[in-house]
Amino acid sequence: MKIIGESSIPLDPNLAEEIRRRCGQNVSLCYQCRKCAAGCPNRSFMDSTPTELMRHIQLGMADEAMKGNAIWYCLSCHTCSARCPQDIDIPQVVDALRIIVQEKKVKTDAGSVTLVNRLWMAMLRLGRMYEMGLASLTNLLTGRPFKDAGLAARMIRKGKIKLLPTIRKPLEINRMFKRARKLKK
Amino acid sequence: MKIAYFPGCSLHSMAAEFDVSTRRVCQSLDVQLCEVKDWTCCGSSPAHGCDELMSLALPARILALTTETENLREVCAPCASCYSRLKFAQERLTDPRWRADIETVVGRPCPPDVGIFNMIELVIGKVGLDNVASHVVRPLAGIKVACYYGCLLTRPPKVIGSTNFENPTDMDAIMETLGAQVLDWNHKTSCCGASFALTKTEVVLNLTRKILADARNVGAEAIAVACPLCHANLDGRQEQINAAFGTDFHVPVFYFTQLMGLAFGIPPKELAVGKHLTDVGDFLKERALL
Repeated sequence: MKIIGESSIPLDPNLAEEIRRRCGQNVSLCYQCRKCAAGCPNRSFMDSTPTELMRHIQLGMADEAMKGNAIWYCLSCHTCSARCPQDIDIPQVVDALRIIVQEKKVKTDAGSVTLVNRLWMAMLRLGRMYEMGLASLTNLLTGRPFKDAGLAARMIRKGKIKLLPTIRKPLEINRMFKRARKLKK
Repeated sequence: MKIAYFPGCSLHSMAAEFDVSTRRVCQSLDVQLCEVKDWTCCGSSPAHGCDELMSLALPARILALTTETENLREVCAPCASCYSRLKFAQERLTDPRWRADIETVVGRPCPPDVGIFNMIELVIGKVGLDNVASHVVRPLAGIKVACYYGCLLTRPPKVIGSTNFENPTDMDAIMETLGAQVLDWNHKTSCCGASFALTKTEVVLNLTRKILADARNVGAEAIAVACPLCHANLDGRQEQINAAFGTDFHVPVFYFTQLMGLAFGIPPKELAVGKHLTDVGDFLKERALL
């Protein structure tokens, strides 16, 4: 963890409470045992560990919690939450942070994750996931049009990818999205 | 026995082998799978990372439709991600405040008491290992198998209800019943990087490489899996991993339902083994399973 002059850190005293309101997880219970950091398979990519993330939230260090890449490298594999002695569901805390960042349009180190999330949620309105469309659009929009092209070709030859979307109940799904948006207001 | 069946998007495309072998094995075991009518996507990982309410309402819709499928109260979801999302939705439905919101969005009553099974649970809990044993006509005589469970079939234990989440053994028990020699190894429940396939492929290659390496170190001739994304990475990315890390992996990766089918004497063609990206033909020939 970096040591920073305390006067230079903007603090959000409501951060822990907002997380709790959104996902029901009480991060104040964390006593920094580091079991989550020890077991995290993606720890080596993150600029702060899950344990540090819990501390940042406890202290209200919103920038540290949201602007780094840690929340975007979480795999939601639940190794940490399975082992947490205080029963904190850390991936749900991470999801809450991701949602706040996306709602408030905070500038963050998300890579292409938020883009793929948006594409996924848009495509989902067809009813069933159109993997071919999702992958090609993602590659196009991230400027890597030929990413995994060899793999895709082999999958198509084996009949593992559908070339056309399967549409199921798109009107019903769209109505669900509308009702959800209304409820959130 | 009759149970509702929610295959999910993956089983209709890149994991067709899992769908085909599950249906075929269930047919042999006299389990009638009634596909949930007009099922739609569960939302999977991207939904819970950007829209909590929809990430619960989408799987809750499947639970609602289950009860409309011949009045069944139990559903089988082979895909680990679908299974996990159904379990998360069910957990929230037990909270009256959440249930009201979810039902408003779904527009149907969403009962919180639908029984949710993955295929391992269905085989162990509903079919029974004795019943499985009675169908084995071509035992997997001593084939060394590493059973890979991944993340979402057992974690988080509070939501899934699993007790042995650090060392699950149910798939091992099924493989032993088929006559296979099940191996102990370190990466049984390690993450393969599934949800990062489109966004951070370098993570997937790195994590999947470790799993393949460990399986090979303990002498596995094949890996058994029960999740479409585990299979897509372990089976489908071996070529990319070999190119990136200078390795020479060529490990057959089967859905455990395919290995059940082979032991039951079902022709490999009916279990879609030809769809694997890492060829399993030589393995099947050597082991006289063709």
